[in-house]
Amino acid sequence: MPKLFYILFFIATAVNAQTKMGSTEAAKLKAKVKAHAASVKTLLSDFAQYKHLDFLSNDIVTTGKLAFKSPNTVKWEYTTPFKYAVLFKNETLFINDEGKKSNVDIGSNEMFKQLNTLIINSIKGDMFNENEFDISYFKKETNSEVYFSVKHEKISKYIKVFHIIFNKEGHVVELKMIEPSEDYTRIIFSNRSINIPLSDAIFTQ
Amino acid sequence: MRYLLSSFCLLFIACGSYSKKHDFQIVKSLNSRIRNSYFSDESKDYVYKANITVYDNDFSGIFIVKKIGEANHRIVFTTEMGNKVFDFSFIDDTFKVNNIIEDMNKALLINILKKDFTVLVKEKTTVIKSYSLQDTLVYETVILNKKYFYFKTQQLNKILRVASGKEKVTFLFSEINDTIAHQINIRHSNIKLNINLKLIN
Repeated sequence: MPKLFYILFFIATAVNAQTKMGSTEAAKLKAKVKAHAASVKTLLSDFAQYKHLDFLSNDIVTTGKLAFKSPNTVKWEYTTPFKYAVLFKNETLFINDEGKKSNVDIGSNEMFKQLNTLIINSIKGDMFNENEFDISYFKKETNSEVYFSVKHEKISKYIKVFHIIFNKEGHVVELKMIEPSEDYTRIIFSNRSINIPLSDAIFTQ
Repeated sequence: MRYLLSSFCLLFIACGSYSKKHDFQIVKSLNSRIRNSYFSDESKDYVYKANITVYDNDFSGIFIVKKIGEANHRIVFTTEMGNKVFDFSFIDDTFKVNNIIEDMNKALLINILKKDFTVLVKEKTTVIKSYSLQDTLVYETVILNKKYFYFKTQQLNKILRVASGKEKVTFLFSEINDTIAHQINIRHSNIKLNINLKLIN
């Protein structure tokens, strides 16, 4: 029995090439990410999105550009395999679907507002709100990974946990949103530029 | 009994009229079954960009069809950002809602989608009558108690649901390459519902 236990333990450790973070280290990471998030006025990044559905042979891959302007304007622009952009600005969702434009007023929709706040906070990585999430910290090679389990009942029906990977500088390099069914959306960020001037034209559509 | 009898008469008149109205010529049945092979490859993920218009509201997203096994398909619709809108299973003639967002969780809407998507993924159906219309073969069949006409020129390019002699739902398959339809349009005549699918992988 002990032998089996050790084997299982070894397998578990080998699979999860990550270890739980001590509280001092976790506090340091949190402080670093928060300081970085507060300093972000603009952000421009490429992204690759992998939609994983358990029954599919391959993840669905879409790529594009993300642009953020403090305090709460964000644009996701998909360029392949289709052109689609969604801009969250002034409590409105502006959509440009291959040239076809529409908008949705989200001012009255609490759920949308919360989701938008979550999206913005997750881009910056600052989701350290213990009233909203159960938070656990891990070390992952040179990076850190934080699990934010959603407490809000309505939101947790759609996303039960966010996994965010931070690099050494405290920047978000990967965001994974896991549904209750275990299907997930994984977004990997690359070519990030922080606090470069972004023209207003980017945030109009 | 009298009611049943009159319903049958009505059904007969109604069905007869569409094929007559459109000059379908009855031909001796060539096949006992008609095949729709557009979602028949288990090794393939069928992924479409979808635009759905319901009563002047536009939705767009990603429409995914996967054949899991014999007469077993899964259909999932997500937003471009990956959030699931609905997730249905079609196994033989049974239908299961695995997941649907609150805003769309309406029996009437689910029933319409169930009927449309059952036809979309159904691979083999029994031919009741065969017709010819110029260079097109037309097969009459029944799915979930509704009457359909399958139009096949070189490939299956149209399916019509007909009731009371009128077109109710039109399925158009175009830009067909081998057994893959790159464009699919599902249009309802009696309600404002239009689904456009464009293959992205």
